[in-house]
Amino acid sequence: MPADAHSQQAARQHVNRREFLTRTGWGSLWMTGFLVGVGRSRAFAHPPSPYPSWVPPSDKPPKRGGILTRASAWDPPVLDPRLTNSVGLFQIATLTYNRLLRYPFADEAKNNADLTLKGDLAEAWEGSADFKTWTFKLRQGVKWHNVPPVNARELVANDVKYCYEAYAKEGVQSFTFQEIDGMETPDRHTIRIHLKSPNTMFPQNVAEAVAVIFPREVLEEDGDLKKRMIGTGPFILKEFQRKVRTVLVRNPDYFDTGFPYIDEYRILSTPDAATRLAAFRTGQSDILGLQSLADVATLLRTNPTAVVQENTTVLTPFGLTLRMDKPPFNDVRVRRAMSMAIDRQKQVDTLYEGHAILGWGIPYFYWTDERPTAADLGPYWQYRPEEAKRLLAEAGYANGFETTLFYYEYFPQMTSQIQLVQQDLKRNLNIELKITKQDYTTYFGRYAEGNWEGTAWGFQTGYAVSLDERTYQYIHSKAPKNYFRVNDPMIDELATTLRQTADRAEQRAITKKIVEREHDQVLRMWMPFDAGFQIWQPHLRNIGQLDLRGNFGYGSSTLARLWIDK
Amino acid sequence: MHKYIIRRLLLAIPVLLLASLIVFGLMRVMPGDALTALMAESGNVSERELQKLRKDLGLDLPYYEQYLIWLWQMVSLDPGYSIFTGEPIPVALKKAIPVTIELALSAMILGLLIAIPVGVLSATRQDKPSDYVGRLVAISGLSLPDFWLGTLVITFAAIWFGWIPPLGYVSLWESPWTNLQQFLLPAAVLGFRLSAATMRMTRSTLLEVLREDYVRTAWAKGVGERMIIYKHALKNALIPVVTIVGGQLGTLLAGTVIVETIFALPGMGRLTVEAILFRDYPIVQTNVMLVAGTLVTLNLLVDLTYAWLDPRIRYQ
Amino acid sequence: MSTATADSATFEERMPDQLSRGQALWGVIKRKPLGLASAALIGLLVFTAIFANVLAPYHPLAAYPEKRLAPPSWEHPFGTDDIGRDVLSRVIHGSRISLWVGLLAVGIGTFAGTIIGLLSGYWEGWLDLGLQRAMDALMAIPGLILALAIVSVLTPSTTNAMLAIAVVIVPGNSRIVRGAVLSTKQNPYVEAAQALGCRHLRIIAKHILPNVTAPILIIASIWLGNAILIEASLSFLGLGTQPPTPSWGLMLSSTGRAFMEQAPWLAIFPGLAISLAVLGFNLFGDTLRDAWDPKLRRRG
Repeated sequence: MPADAHSQQAARQHVNRREFLTRTGWGSLWMTGFLVGVGRSRAFAHPPSPYPSWVPPSDKPPKRGGILTRASAWDPPVLDPRLTNSVGLFQIATLTYNRLLRYPFADEAKNNADLTLKGDLAEAWEGSADFKTWTFKLRQGVKWHNVPPVNARELVANDVKYCYEAYAKEGVQSFTFQEIDGMETPDRHTIRIHLKSPNTMFPQNVAEAVAVIFPREVLEEDGDLKKRMIGTGPFILKEFQRKVRTVLVRNPDYFDTGFPYIDEYRILSTPDAATRLAAFRTGQSDILGLQSLADVATLLRTNPTAVVQENTTVLTPFGLTLRMDKPPFNDVRVRRAMSMAIDRQKQVDTLYEGHAILGWGIPYFYWTDERPTAADLGPYWQYRPEEAKRLLAEAGYANGFETTLFYYEYFPQMTSQIQLVQQDLKRNLNIELKITKQDYTTYFGRYAEGNWEGTAWGFQTGYAVSLDERTYQYIHSKAPKNYFRVNDPMIDELATTLRQTADRAEQRAITKKIVEREHDQVLRMWMPFDAGFQIWQPHLRNIGQLDLRGNFGYGSSTLARLWIDK
Repeated sequence: MHKYIIRRLLLAIPVLLLASLIVFGLMRVMPGDALTALMAESGNVSERELQKLRKDLGLDLPYYEQYLIWLWQMVSLDPGYSIFTGEPIPVALKKAIPVTIELALSAMILGLLIAIPVGVLSATRQDKPSDYVGRLVAISGLSLPDFWLGTLVITFAAIWFGWIPPLGYVSLWESPWTNLQQFLLPAAVLGFRLSAATMRMTRSTLLEVLREDYVRTAWAKGVGERMIIYKHALKNALIPVVTIVGGQLGTLLAGTVIVETIFALPGMGRLTVEAILFRDYPIVQTNVMLVAGTLVTLNLLVDLTYAWLDPRIRYQ
Repeated sequence: MSTATADSATFEERMPDQLSRGQALWGVIKRKPLGLASAALIGLLVFTAIFANVLAPYHPLAAYPEKRLAPPSWEHPFGTDDIGRDVLSRVIHGSRISLWVGLLAVGIGTFAGTIIGLLSGYWEGWLDLGLQRAMDALMAIPGLILALAIVSVLTPSTTNAMLAIAVVIVPGNSRIVRGAVLSTKQNPYVEAAQALGCRHLRIIAKHILPNVTAPILIIASIWLGNAILIEASLSFLGLGTQPPTPSWGLMLSSTGRAFMEQAPWLAIFPGLAISLAVLGFNLFGDTLRDAWDPKLRRRG
């Protein structure tokens, strides 16, 4: 990176670049790591794959009509968006509701990396100079679904205000909305939001899939949002049978005229992976998610015309979480040693057939242009077992130690991965890792509440695109979603400054510093991950999906512009 | 006879109470909380909100109070709500029970259709090749885990026949043809396993009965083989078979979770197991009590049948 | 759950001129091919379990991920798994786990069930009433659900899965033992012993237990097979053996299913092992019954 920009940036923060590098000790080690990395790394700039990461929209004239079906692994735990962020709910909720802002549809986006914010319920927005006040101008003529109790009345600014206040009051999104100091609605279609502290990335937060706008009447009548899902979205919920099916039908009064194209979207609850595969093979399901290259090859043998899109892996949600507030993991040398003792590249090459990233936590496009190689991730991300052994001995654990790891098997490769990590740690550092596989509730309860010792296979939440969420909300020492229990004053400072920085280039520089600090101190020991592949029946159009926005999960809203060519 | 019935009925009550205590106790001792499952994938919940939810759901009361409240709900036939979904439990049960009954009945019928003829064949041709074949087929039914059989069936149905049962359960009344298609394969998988045990029992009890004096007498008198088997032997041999089939009912009422998962059927098995995994106490407690009550009743009926068939038992 | 069992009725008499148990068993094994086969299978299982360390060509936990998912070859006769471990070695070591699971689960379950059944059947009265109601209550809860709940409480592991299965076995066992005790008690020499004032323990040990061991062993041998299957189901649900333990059930339910089309050997060999073990135990139970059931012996 150019020295000038960096030092200007550093100067503005009253920290001299040389001081910065010296203080973190990053300077010398960084160069060493770079040289070593270049020589020995077999990292790919882009993991190889014969499948495209973007499917451009068709240039044929779209046809209206048809039924889209999908065999889904998820069942919504509750229908109330205040009470859960589960993808089981938002695979549906992103279609029955809207948010203030959104990301591009497949027929608008330039490619899979196009994450330009667009207006959803809002048509324009701007922030004050100090980034503490955000004003949104809503579209006119947006109607709620034509069902009681809203009966197609118009959406007004007060509705948005009501929602955001409700989110702030209780539920899982309260942290995001509690930074709101107050809101005003100077007219029916304008809402002005005042924040307690500056946040240049607030618009990204309201564009998240989970920040849906629901009607006050339903909440007031029912007392909760568990029984009915009524919104302004392109689809109306016609039928919901837990564990069986969800049927969504086109909203004839949708404000985005002409959309959606399809008549109906049916989601069939199918908990077993083999059954979902069989459903796609026999045409009962139009969409399928697969994890590995080999899985895709197997499917193409029986269904050669299926369309495959590679999900660009921009971050990994999973990593080794350590109790950093207690010995032995409070010693940075122990963490660094462990990180260097694990052969990430081998996992990528073998388990993931080369098609995975080495592991970092913040979407790479926020801090660098090209997907990072091993060299970019710092010296402690390299596989250097001798150095690791030396460092661990220096920390006083020359004979290793015993510890535990618990996890939930999100997908089968994870178990394989964990066992490889177990073997690496034992062989290189004589660290005995006793593994326990748990059911989801036990795992999540222990992990999220932090009442565990030793280590865990931890995660960061999946839905967030917002840089603010991926930094401030996950690694600030006071943030509730800081599951990795990061408690680093430099990170806190950088994350807070990031919120106040408007300039894109500066944001990138600060984010890069956060990543570097994270990797230097091994605050979150990220592990390789492959976001997998999306498979479509060949008669579907406008299926291109954006990074981090799986078309049938949190990014389902794009299905409004999908059409069926039959 | 009446005394017998009343005695058995009275004895059933402490059984049910004990079962309810066992289930209640187990659920409460499990690590992890119903609320954790509810907050899944979110976790952004403050202590204050957790307390409020706990209070709303009655989870902050001492255990014995929770137990008594629930007991009262059971007795007054008002089991309350699911913690996870907020749905009234009777509603959830009304949807799951028909699925389980249909699956259980069709599996049992298919199982018996296979087991009895094969068992009879095996017994009458003891130690001949057909006996061995019959026994080996039966044993393979016993020795393959049902998740494996189910996975094989659904995968190769798709690959070889390009067909799998239509997903998205519909009830028999809504659409009989679709429904039958949906239950054929899962019933076959379950039935195959059940038939193994039933077939072995049929064979062994038939073997015993065929050596009874009255059967030997009939042989000597020249009565036809078929007459002997169906008129004399089978009836008596079937008594223990009835026991076995009754015993299998327990498995069928709530142990079918694996087949239900693979074939995407929303029955009691999935409801109960998923409720255990999510610590949805009211559902687990209610379901298990329902199944326990059904089993106890069924066993009572079986015992009454025995007592009717064999007077000696009545006077025990 | 009924009070009459077919088995209890068959063991009320001891034939005065009978062969010893062992001789009877050996006779059946020699004569009937299936009996021989089952004895051989069990023998093979025990042998493999004891000498696993010697028989296995590789360490069951040694992973060579570069060689992952390799089909069967001379180097790896059963192929390699998802992280490059030798499947043959894992199947061999798995016999230890399966035997261990079976023996412990069935051992504890049978032992506890026998004690309860003996107490119930011998002393009758209130003790019997209470114990049997408790057993009925346990039996009213479907087996898989009960096992699942217990493992969830105890945290998943091989040992805890075994304990859960043991608890599931206890009620049925106690019932059978109780039935056998009840019918044995009606024998004249038992009554005579009691009239003579023999100590209860002696009566139980000398007269009752011998008549009860036959049905216990028969049922136990069948439960050994069942225990392996239940452990596999628990593993499928995520609550059985923990990775990287090479249990057949875990191998079949996790990697066996996940790689069914790409690497079928990952399922074929553990599946075959499970089937053969269960087959062996079930056939052996049949053989025991053929050998020790007096009614059947009349024919041969």
